[in-house]
Amino acid sequence: MNDVTLTVSEITRLIKNNLEENFASLDIVGEISNFKAHSSGHWYFTLKDSDAQISCIMWRGVNNHVYFSPHDGMKIVVIGRLTVYPPRGNYQLEVRTMNPAGVGELQLAFEKLKTKLRDEGLFDPENKKILPELPLKIGIVTSAGGAALRDMISVAERRFPLVRITVASCIVQGAGASDALVAAIQSLNKQNEVEVIIVARGGGSLEDLWAFNEEEVAYAIYKSKIPVVTGIGHETDFTIADFVADYRAATPTAAMEIITPEKREIENLIKSFNDEITDMMFSKISEIKEQILLLVNSYAFRSPLELLKLYNQKVDTTVQRFNQMMDKYLNNRKNKLALLTTKLSANDVQKTLAKGFVLVKQEDKFVTRAKKFQTAQPHSLIFYDNQIDCNK
Amino acid sequence: MKRKNSQSTFKSDLQRLEEISILLDDGEIELEEAIVLYEEGMQLSKKCLAMLSSAELKVNELKSKIDFTNEENI
Repeated sequence: MNDVTLTVSEITRLIKNNLEENFASLDIVGEISNFKAHSSGHWYFTLKDSDAQISCIMWRGVNNHVYFSPHDGMKIVVIGRLTVYPPRGNYQLEVRTMNPAGVGELQLAFEKLKTKLRDEGLFDPENKKILPELPLKIGIVTSAGGAALRDMISVAERRFPLVRITVASCIVQGAGASDALVAAIQSLNKQNEVEVIIVARGGGSLEDLWAFNEEEVAYAIYKSKIPVVTGIGHETDFTIADFVADYRAATPTAAMEIITPEKREIENLIKSFNDEITDMMFSKISEIKEQILLLVNSYAFRSPLELLKLYNQKVDTTVQRFNQMMDKYLNNRKNKLALLTTKLSANDVQKTLAKGFVLVKQEDKFVTRAKKFQTAQPHSLIFYDNQIDCNK
Repeated sequence: MKRKNSQSTFKSDLQRLEEISILLDDGEIELEEAIVLYEEGMQLSKKCLAMLSSAELKVNELKSKIDFTNEENI
């Protein structure tokens, strides 16, 4: 065209001016590949379709407004401009905003992560921690100004005002939300005072709730030593966080309701303990009463009286027996004495008779005086050796 | 601090109450012991009910927070 010779720098500058002026604002749709989040905070990736590709860069100060984590294979729509980097002689797309190409893309990402985490065992029932029965210290991870927090507090106030709530506030949507959620969960674990953590957010679109579908949030919940209950969005919203949580409640208020007992329930519990121990006390007392009655009526308990009676009886018997024995003994003695006496006296008479004296017997009686002798009557003469009857 | 104590005693009181009802349920227990336990139980339940009716919800903000978001905005 002309014979002017240009240096590499000169032509590169011309290209740069040309491209940057003509492609200052672009809407481009494509699939992410080779995504790299550099330690500097900048993102480097390639956007491609079946036939072409273009290098992309998204600076740190800009990419923190992206509410989701981009990953390879995800179809996105970016807004940006073309820039030329002279030292390398290449052009790249400088991305200002990034969005999923459609809700379908987010759902796809959701399903992909869900499958991945499930395969890793993050949803396994055996990994679920048991919720404390009566937690008195509750941690809440949510937005400080949100309606969800107000609702949860009023539920706690109404149901069980004895609890103490520690709020670890954080942003719950948009860029940086997932990092903030992770930080809040980790902080409560570090503080290690609450017995259960509620991770909550009020209702919103899929994009609004997206932070709860991020892998890092899932891991933070999984690694939490304190049991986590989620209450995110509405009844129909299911997030990855819900799957990992130890318990998923449908809404923030439902989450608070699940972990707090109703005041009346506790009151009833206390009252039932009261009734129970009173009943048991009464039955114990009546049981003991019965035992006492049983004892009182029992032979063993009456034994002092019974023994006394028995003793008396025994004494009586002994005395009686003693008396009987004495009587018998005495009688025996008496008889023996009588016998002896007779024998003795008999001996005495025999000796006298032997000397030649004679006894006179009339009508079976000894005649001891002459005047008692009846001459007309028969009599007997008793000698020492014999008796002679004289019958006249 | 005082609240923290009353809060933690509430739970242990409630547990003790449950324990007492189990202990009293044991037929082998002596009457003297049962009376002591019963009195303790009645006092505990009275105390717990009073604590419950006078409780006020306490909400505080976690101070020691690691802030990732600020770090990113630098």
